[in-house]
Amino acid sequence: MSDIMDFARFETLVAAYGATPSRWPEEQRAAAEAFARTDPRAAALLGEADAIDALLFAHRVAEPSRTLRAMVLESAPRRRRLTGRARLWWSSLAFALAAAGGVLAGSAATAALDPVTANMQLYQHDDVPAYDDVSEENAQ
Amino acid sequence: MSLDDPDGELVRRVGEGDVHAIEALVARKLPRMTALAQRLLGDQAEAEDVVQDLFVRVWKSAAAWRPGAAKFDTWMHRVAYNLCTDRLRKRREVPLPESWDAPDPQPLADAGISAEQQSDAVGRALAALAPRQREAIVLTYYQELPNREAAALMGIGVDALESLLARGRRALKARLEERDE
Repeated sequence: MSDIMDFARFETLVAAYGATPSRWPEEQRAAAEAFARTDPRAAALLGEADAIDALLFAHRVAEPSRTLRAMVLESAPRRRRLTGRARLWWSSLAFALAAAGGVLAGSAATAALDPVTANMQLYQHDDVPAYDDVSEENAQ
Repeated sequence: MSLDDPDGELVRRVGEGDVHAIEALVARKLPRMTALAQRLLGDQAEAEDVVQDLFVRVWKSAAAWRPGAAKFDTWMHRVAYNLCTDRLRKRREVPLPESWDAPDPQPLADAGISAEQQSDAVGRALAALAPRQREAIVLTYYQELPNREAAALMGIGVDALESLLARGRRALKARLEERDE
């Protein structure tokens, strides 16, 4: 590829990339546009190339079908966007799991203590009256 | 070398499974990649297979994608191009039907020719080009890849790309003029 913009290079460039300057290689575009403005032979080359460009761009292809779009989207591994019903279901499940976890943890902690110690820990607080404490009844 | 990739941020979000980013990437790339495959293969059903395969690879690669020497669009073109050329190679092993190259009965220059008929005639002329000429034209004109990217994709130099483009354009014009006579 020559860096010099003479008739031969301009002819090669237009034969390859057509008549539209935006399609010409960026590094040669300014020189080619200047050549087109100043050389009287350029107009004939550009006219011929423009006719071929018009043929090329007459070609249309079908837009992607909705089915294809749906299949492509379906194949994506995405984080699920939850619907209202699904969000409620997942929230309920999470709540139930958390509650079950709490019950299990409490049972396990209690089971680790012998019955006497458990009762002591449960009832030894001052603000919790023992069932056999008659002082409260007497005070009333 | 890090490039300013217009798809970079979108691809990062796709890698995280962001639904909106996935939809945006499909909206941005699906028509472009479908057009590429349709023009290289000349067959809509096969093009759709290639595009599905391409996007499966996109989903697998997005999470690991790091901005580097290539733009994501260039990478997608490379994968799609390779998938298409693989199919074309296999297709050459199967003989084409006798009528595949039949001339268009309707001359292109007819005043009454519709845009659809004109498009069909150009499509047949494109399909009849030598494969490398067609690839050069599709990548440069329809996909609008810069010449260096198109050449790199095809594994050739820019001079060779220009030669393929010039010969392809001449052949296309000659074929369409044949129909007018």
